[in-house]
Amino acid sequence: MTTLTVSDFSFSYNNPEQPELAHINWTPTPGSFNLLIGPSGSGKSTLLKAMAGLLPHFGGQILTGEIRLDDYIVDTVMPFERAKRIAMLFQNPNRQFAMPTPAEQITFALENIQLPASEITDRVTTSLEALNITGLANQKIITLSGGEKQKVALATVLALGSDYILLDEPFANVDPAARLELLQLLKQLQVQHQKTIILADHDLSGYTNLVDAIYQINPENHQLSQTDASVLIADAVGPHTFKTKAYQTLSPLKLIQVGLSVEKRTLLKPSDLQLPKAQLGLLSGANGMGKSTLFAAISHQTDYTGTIMWDAQDSQKFKIKQWAQRIGLIFQDAIDQFVDLTVAEELALSKKHTLLPDYWTEARIQSALSQLNLADFKNANLYQLSGGQQKKVQVLSMLMMGQPIFLLDEPLAGLDHVSVQAMLTLIKQTLTDNGLSALMISHQRNGLDDFIDYEWHLSNQEITQEVPE
Amino acid sequence: MTLNPSVMLIIILEIGLPMAFTQSLAGNLAVCFIAFCYLMVNRASLKTISFVMLISLPLAFGTGWSFIAFGTGDVWHQAFLQVSRLFAYIFLGMTLTLTTQVRDILLSFINHLHLSPTFAYGLFAAFNLLPRIQRQVKTIRYSANLRGITYHLWQPQLYFKAILSALQWSDDLAQGMASHGFSEGADRTITYHDNLPKWQWGLAIILIASYLILSLLT
Repeated sequence: MTTLTVSDFSFSYNNPEQPELAHINWTPTPGSFNLLIGPSGSGKSTLLKAMAGLLPHFGGQILTGEIRLDDYIVDTVMPFERAKRIAMLFQNPNRQFAMPTPAEQITFALENIQLPASEITDRVTTSLEALNITGLANQKIITLSGGEKQKVALATVLALGSDYILLDEPFANVDPAARLELLQLLKQLQVQHQKTIILADHDLSGYTNLVDAIYQINPENHQLSQTDASVLIADAVGPHTFKTKAYQTLSPLKLIQVGLSVEKRTLLKPSDLQLPKAQLGLLSGANGMGKSTLFAAISHQTDYTGTIMWDAQDSQKFKIKQWAQRIGLIFQDAIDQFVDLTVAEELALSKKHTLLPDYWTEARIQSALSQLNLADFKNANLYQLSGGQQKKVQVLSMLMMGQPIFLLDEPLAGLDHVSVQAMLTLIKQTLTDNGLSALMISHQRNGLDDFIDYEWHLSNQEITQEVPE
Repeated sequence: MTLNPSVMLIIILEIGLPMAFTQSLAGNLAVCFIAFCYLMVNRASLKTISFVMLISLPLAFGTGWSFIAFGTGDVWHQAFLQVSRLFAYIFLGMTLTLTTQVRDILLSFINHLHLSPTFAYGLFAAFNLLPRIQRQVKTIRYSANLRGITYHLWQPQLYFKAILSALQWSDDLAQGMASHGFSEGADRTITYHDNLPKWQWGLAIILIASYLILSLLT
């Protein structure tokens, strides 16, 4: 049996004075299920990548200590030997595939570890079956939903037969049902195949009967310590929808008989929709139901049937440039949103072009930055921030633009509880102060009760809404 | 009848290289004709072929005109020679690119021409990124719109951001590939097998020899 040992490990990407990880000691019990927690930017990804042997090869430097895979320093082991023992699932499922389809991706991985050609086809089939995704085998990965992509990644890891499975916030773009399914599957791998699971997550629900040990990284001193199950959130009982709150007026945006389809598959039957003003709505629904596609249609990034009106005008009369000043789309991938290089530049740009110049004063921007715990990162390079910090800068820079309608696609993915609260407070404040409307996609539902004004649920090609009392 | 990509590459190189030095109008025209026939036999899209021709027409005209205007001696012959050479190269290229997939080309080169798998898979992953890059350029322009600025296709900022994204992706992709066991320079199992009967090499030799003889005689 393979053992992975982290001893006195300190690591830094840029500045040795401010290490991302400090003197970490950790030997996960072989065959156990471990949860790794800690706020955004505390170094969870860094620790997992280092344990997977990807660092310092892909950047940064080791300051003290080492990580050993049995008798070898983990980053000196050749990838084809390492992959049989440790595999990693990344935060962003879009960027871990080299091949166009799941079957080709798994074949590629198995060729890498030099599995005899005669066994490869069988192994591809069984691993796809184990995850119940045989039907996706020859589909283009680029067309799959976030949850489906993570299943493909997990099928690859399963095929490789790695003893250690490291998962870096794998559920950031996965709906609750698919998340529970994946968690059960991981448990099954642990129990039946003696895999060691190490999983970093912000959402602490659903783990109560699953995990053997919980570790957390302290964001202050970047050290790791074990903690008990009291940090976990009890599993929610049954599905609950957010209560619809009364609204004063409706926004100028009106969808009339709008229908959506992708490659002949209907996502939404012709529907009439209108957003209330000064309210934050939640758009829920399982993966692949078409939530992001609806946002793309409203923002004129994809085709639709029916009419989208702005007051009494057909929205197609607007040029994309003008439309972008009315509908503010906040992308799922924060990096896509960035126009500049540093946090300060990004915010300065928004300040220059904002539609609410009187509202976004220098003082308000400063207080928003402190609220989001970003005050120390003003001069940081956007591309070197952690996933959670990038999200916060992204949302702030868009809120500062002040479009009348905001469409937020997973703005809470990868954020810890405190950051979620801070972010939602800021969004809500901006909406009510300026009478703006917002619709948000979020798979995370914990801690949202104080903020959500209504919920639209997309399933079976229809959007349903609870009628206000 | 589709020839193996490795055989095609050898034919293209062995005809393309001497074509740069020989002055044979007949040779060039023969290459165009045979390549066109091969494309037809393999049902290459006539639309794509016409499109390629259309794009190259101004280039061909420019080349021909410069020889007519500034050349010495038999300027018309020189002009026709250069123009026919240009089209011969285009047709040669199309015989490979319009009849086979990138994947088959690269895997065939690994199997038969000892191309390094590291290089081939690097290229292949890059090709898989192409549709994403296209989409990314659209996203970049839109994200600029959202922030009240407009990027036109001729503005360097647009490409700067595209390159930045591509760099980020390539790093993520390299990490993804490494965690799926891809090791530079290491052996891999090869599951891809293609058909390369010996007669195809024979045909390649005949075609190359015929071209050389034709272009030396005329």
